Amino acid sequence: MDFVLTQLSGFGGAFYELAADPLTYVYLITSVFLGITFGALPGLTATLAVTILTGFFGNKIPLDYSLIALLGAYVGAIYGGSYPSILLNIPGTAASAATAMDGYPLAQKGRGGEALGLTTTASFVGTLIGTIALLVFVWVLLLLSKNIASPEKALLALFGILLSGTLMSEDLVVKGWIAGLIGLAMAMVGLDPLLSEPRYTFGWSYMLSGFQVVPVLMGAFAVPQIIEGMRHMEIGKMAQVTGRILPNLKTVRRYLPTITRSGVIGTGVGALPGVGEDVAGWVSYGVGKTVSKEGHKFGKGSLEGLLSSETANNACIGGALIPLLVLGIPGSPPAAALMGAFKINNIIPGPTIDPDIILRVVAIMLMASFTMFLMGLFTARIFMKILRIPQVVFLPIVMVLTTIGSFSVGGGINDLYLMLGVGFVAYFMNLLKFPIAPLVIGVILGGLFDETFRRSLLISGGDIFVFASRPVASVLLMLNIALVMSQFPFIKRVFSRLFRKIA
Amino acid sequence: MQQDPTSEDLSVLRTRDFWAALVLMVVSAFFLWRTFDIPLWGGNRAGVASASWYNSAAIVPLGIFSALLILSIVLLVIAIKAGGAKQALSAVGIGWDRAEALRFTTIGVILFFYVAGLVPRVDFIACSGLLITALIFGFHKGHSKRMILAAVVLALPGLYAFIAHLPQAEWGAHDDDVVTLVVWAGLTVWVMAKSQGDRVLRIIPLLAVLAPLLLVCAMAFGFRQNVPNRGGIIFSQIEYHYYVTLRPLWRS
Repeated sequence: MDFVLTQLSGFGGAFYELAADPLTYVYLITSVFLGITFGALPGLTATLAVTILTGFFGNKIPLDYSLIALLGAYVGAIYGGSYPSILLNIPGTAASAATAMDGYPLAQKGRGGEALGLTTTASFVGTLIGTIALLVFVWVLLLLSKNIASPEKALLALFGILLSGTLMSEDLVVKGWIAGLIGLAMAMVGLDPLLSEPRYTFGWSYMLSGFQVVPVLMGAFAVPQIIEGMRHMEIGKMAQVTGRILPNLKTVRRYLPTITRSGVIGTGVGALPGVGEDVAGWVSYGVGKTVSKEGHKFGKGSLEGLLSSETANNACIGGALIPLLVLGIPGSPPAAALMGAFKINNIIPGPTIDPDIILRVVAIMLMASFTMFLMGLFTARIFMKILRIPQVVFLPIVMVLTTIGSFSVGGGINDLYLMLGVGFVAYFMNLLKFPIAPLVIGVILGGLFDETFRRSLLISGGDIFVFASRPVASVLLMLNIALVMSQFPFIKRVFSRLFRKIA
Repeated sequence: MQQDPTSEDLSVLRTRDFWAALVLMVVSAFFLWRTFDIPLWGGNRAGVASASWYNSAAIVPLGIFSALLILSIVLLVIAIKAGGAKQALSAVGIGWDRAEALRFTTIGVILFFYVAGLVPRVDFIACSGLLITALIFGFHKGHSKRMILAAVVLALPGLYAFIAHLPQAEWGAHDDDVVTLVVWAGLTVWVMAKSQGDRVLRIIPLLAVLAPLLLVCAMAFGFRQNVPNRGGIIFSQIEYHYYVTLRPLWRS
């Protein structure tokens, strides 16, 4: 009980400290506005918003402001994606693809204002559910994570890369794993963490310090989107929105069980390493369609369908921060960009993280969700106007932002060459349907995996059974093996036969 | 999230996978070979024995590149089974789209000369202004001639800066700044001449000047960070007047 009270008073203190600082509101309003703008413009994503702001704010202002800027943009961008989904039938971000299924039919029926009001409320409630889960579970897991040593960390890092490769792959799972391995391979460049042995430097001194995270993030997430987005696109006819955009409290009360369920699903999916808001939205939508009495109306303008996806994708944010803060494993692609910001501020997320930072993250999330809610209700018309800006106008400025951000973090032209190289490779990987998120997660977790894997072997004197010698390690090893085996064709066949028999 | 591709799309994808798998196999084999340069079985450096195999810096990369090689082979097998090898040499098979290839090539040229040629050597405001003008004008309506023109106007000063001032010691020279400014001005006049009835084209000069100017000033004076090419022809003047003319006003 004492522990809970201590945490609550710590959270209250962090919240008060932030709330009493006028600059907090400047960063909050600016970042949430930028986030919603990025989300609302088709072609710009939440990951891109967080990545670009990492380059711009990452290590240039005090950590609190930096976190406000990045988390505000993250929350705003996930919500902002709902605007083009509802009004244009074009998902602003992958996370809001499921929102378009019911949002656009509603707008066509002249209920666009109602849909926007409901998505604003659902996103707000979803973010709150994720934030509360973050506050509760992060402490439980932090207490448990004290028992996590090198073998568990190595296996967790591997699990994160494999799981993200499995779930983020649009085509073959093997492509997701290959992307993760390419990321891991990139992390091997430079001096190795235990013996300072140079690896793959080819005599170039810049390579000794390895690939920097921010240029890789910029290259992987920003450059392919710029290349892909620089094309002529006719913006479709926007659905008309009449009247004020207000939350319909009666509808919210009626669908409270759906909102709660979607919030829990979103948080759970977010907590899985490397799995983002798009998966959360679709999983929640799918579950909603199966269990709802109105399931047959999904896809035809169902309010329940709209709430299912929109609550889950915002709840995913809090969930994605749980593994990031507790284990140092990003729960989603934007969380991977956030990890880059932590890294350039010399903060190592994981069991050794300063608990004060976690309390501040929770306080910022709470403030960001309130800001998003108010902006969604009172400034929605501005975002509708922004929707009309063609992306060919916006993307060249994003390129300039990316260049100056990437340059100023590392301070070198070599970082720009790295950014461009990674960007071209990532563009071709996108073209070939290789997912990019596992690559970035591989780059971020590669150093941790290398160090903890070899340290485990060093401590055990080369005994590979060290990875099965402790209960948590054994479970993680089994999970890794199961994940790989589950993709083998004959095992897939056995399971599908088994499921058919049960059905 | 997942879309069901048509059989034609899938066939194109598997043909591309065939080539991707081959490239990946070559790359992973190359890096496997390079990995053997790192002492694995307890190397000896200047008479000092290094670590055992399990602590070697080569052990993890060896695993990674071996796994990459195996997965590349798996991908190759999948691609061949799906008929990827049969169409590997036909343009239709790999889904060659001439318009798309032109679009990518021109953007690639623009980004390459901007990052590798202009940013290190030319004033950041000038080269970013040129980039914004060229990209919006070239790709706004999807006209292929405009795309080529945009690539050429970016490549010209980029190539000049690259050739005339290749070594870092010469990056402070200003002749490439002047060339870039002249090209930018020329392109802006051309864009304005073509802008009748097009609101997007009319706002290009405003965006091209304001966006890099505000960004570079915010970064340099707001966040006090390093910015590319501080000695550039425009930025050096801004920096001088910021510290000599403006700052004393509020410092005193």
